[in-house]
Amino acid sequence: MAKGSFTATIGYNKRIGKSFYKIGLEFSGASAEVFADVKPGQFVEIDLCHASLPADNKIPGELCDSAGRNIILRRPFSFSDIAVEKGKTTVEILYCTVGPASLRMSNLEAGDSVSVIGPLGNGFGMPEGKTTALLVLGGTGAGPIIHLAKQLKNYPQIQKIAFVGARSVEDLPFEKIADCIGAEGGDYLAEFSGTDTQTFVSTDDGSVGSKGFVTDILYRYLKQSGVERREIMVYACGPEPMLARVAQIAESENIDCQVSLERRMACGIGLCQSCAVECKAGDSGQSIYKMCCKDGPVFDASEVVF
Amino acid sequence: MNNNVDMSVDFGGLKLAGPVFTASGTCGYADELGDFMDLGCLGGFITKSITVEPRKGNPTPRIVETDSGMLNAIGLANIGLDNFIEEKLPILGGMSCAVFVNIAGKSAEEYIEVARRLCGFEQIAGFELNISCPNVKKGGIAFGTDPVQVAEITKKVKKAGGGKKLMVKLSPNVTDISATARAAVEAGADALSLINTFMAMVIDIESGKPVLANRTGGLSGPAIKPIAVYMVNKVYNEVTKGTGVPILGSGGIRTGSDAVEFMMAGASAVAVGTASFIEPASCEKIAAGIEDYCSKKGIDSLKKLTGSLC
Repeated sequence: MAKGSFTATIGYNKRIGKSFYKIGLEFSGASAEVFADVKPGQFVEIDLCHASLPADNKIPGELCDSAGRNIILRRPFSFSDIAVEKGKTTVEILYCTVGPASLRMSNLEAGDSVSVIGPLGNGFGMPEGKTTALLVLGGTGAGPIIHLAKQLKNYPQIQKIAFVGARSVEDLPFEKIADCIGAEGGDYLAEFSGTDTQTFVSTDDGSVGSKGFVTDILYRYLKQSGVERREIMVYACGPEPMLARVAQIAESENIDCQVSLERRMACGIGLCQSCAVECKAGDSGQSIYKMCCKDGPVFDASEVVF
Repeated sequence: MNNNVDMSVDFGGLKLAGPVFTASGTCGYADELGDFMDLGCLGGFITKSITVEPRKGNPTPRIVETDSGMLNAIGLANIGLDNFIEEKLPILGGMSCAVFVNIAGKSAEEYIEVARRLCGFEQIAGFELNISCPNVKKGGIAFGTDPVQVAEITKKVKKAGGGKKLMVKLSPNVTDISATARAAVEAGADALSLINTFMAMVIDIESGKPVLANRTGGLSGPAIKPIAVYMVNKVYNEVTKGTGVPILGSGGIRTGSDAVEFMMAGASAVAVGTASFIEPASCEKIAAGIEDYCSKKGIDSLKKLTGSLC
C-alpha cells in the first residue's frame, strides 16, 4: 500500500544503556496494513515538534546547549523490528539522543501520539541465490541490521554472521552486553537471539569484545573463509567511514554488498532534494546525485562514491 | 467547505481556482505530492528551477535546520530542459491548476532559451523568473539585486516567452526591494513573487567550518515570515497598488492565518514552501484555513482581502 501521513500511538519507549532507546510505534486500522510489510532499511519521518523536552535535570550535560533549539523539521528513523497482530502493527525504532529532536522523542510516553510519514525509501534486497549473509553494523546502525536479521529467518538455509562494532562499550545499543561476550561459537546478543545469527562484537577501544575496527574483523573473517565470493551478500549500516571500508573490502573481494546510508533530510519524500548521495554514472567516470530518501537509503555499495 | 466564499483569484489576467501555490523547489515536479493531498486544492503549481543543461546541484550537507527555520543550498539541481519537456511536462499537463515553470540560468541567453523552448506548450500558464537564488556562483541573485539588470532580463524573457505570463521572483537581499520590484513591473512583469530566501550561514563550532558544503545557504521557514509580510506590504504600497500587477506572497507560511496576513499586506495569492517539507498536505490545509477565515469574517471574495490592511 502507498505511503502516507499517519498518526502512531507510542506503545513503549524504553531506555537502553546511556543514551539509546527503543520506541514502539503502534498503528491501527488502515495504517496497520500499510506498515505490516515494511522492509528492513525503510524509514519514517516523525514530527517531534510538538513533543516536550525532558525536565532540565534529565537532559544529559552535553546536550544542554542544543536542547532548547526550536525544531521545525521532521526527523527520519529506520526500523529495528516489527510486530504484526490482528488490526495492529507495531514498528520499533532504535535511536540515540543526540540533539533537540531525539531528546523530545525520549520524553514520549506510552499512549502519546505522533505524526508519522511513511513507510519511505527502499529496504535491503533479500539474499536470493546466496549461501552466506554477512551483517556489518556500527553504533546506531544496529537498528536496520537487527530488523534484517529477523527478516532473514525466512532463509533458514543461509548462514548468517553479524559483525557488531562501536567506539566503546557504551556506544553499543544492546542490552546486557557485558555477560554476552565470548560465549561458545561467538558472542551472544539478545537482540539477535532466535535469528540463528552468529555474532562477533568489537570495540575500537577494546572495552568489550575484540579490540579494533569491526571492518578488520570482517576482513579477517573473509580471509579465512572458504565460501565462494559470489555466494556471499554483505549488508552494512553505520558511520560513513565504516561503510566506505566495507564497500572497499567487498569490491576487492568481488562480493555483492548493500549499504544503508544516512543524510540530512528535510522531507523524506523527494521534495527538498537535500539528501543527495554521490553515485557513479555507469562506467563514464562521471558522478550523479541520487536521493537518499527515494533512491535509497539502501544502495548497492558499488555505485556509491565514498 | 463553505460555498459562500469566492476563492477564485484574478492573477494578472489569469483566472485561478484558489489562492495557494506551491513554491518553486519545494514540491518537485508535482508527481511527489499526489500521495498526500488533493492537488485540486492548488491555485498554481511552480516547478523546480529549470536550466538549459541538467545540473547536479551542490555537495552535501545541503540543508541545516535553524531556530524556526532552515538553510538550504541545493544549487538548482534539476533534470535540464530536454528531460523536463520529455518526462515532466506530460505530468504537469494533467494538473487542473495554473502551472508556472521556474526559469534559472547563468546568463540572460540561458533564461531566454528556456522561455523560448517552453512558450509553445499549452499546459504552461507562465514562467517564474528566478533572479534571486542565493546558492549558485553565476546568475541567480546577481541578476536580481540590480534594478537595471532586473529590467533588462525581465524584458528579454517576456519577449521570448510569447504570450505566457511572466512572474518575477524577487530577492530580499537588497537595500530596497521596491526598487527591484518597480524595475520588473516597468519592464513588463505580469506578476511579482516575493520573497526568495535570505542569504545566511550556520557554523559548526567543533570543526570551525560552515555546516553547509556551499558555506552559505538561503534561510526559509517561519523565522522569515514577519520580514516577508513587511516586504510584501512595502512593495504593494510603493509599487503594485492600482497597477493590476498581483503579488504572490511567500516566506514562512505554515497556516491559513499566515496566508491571511500576506493577503492583507497586499498579496493576491500565496506560495507555500518549507511547510510542505514538514506537512506535505500544507497547501490544502492553508487553502481551507483562508476560506474558514473569510467565512467567519463575512468576506465573500478574496479580492476584498488583498491589501485590506488598515
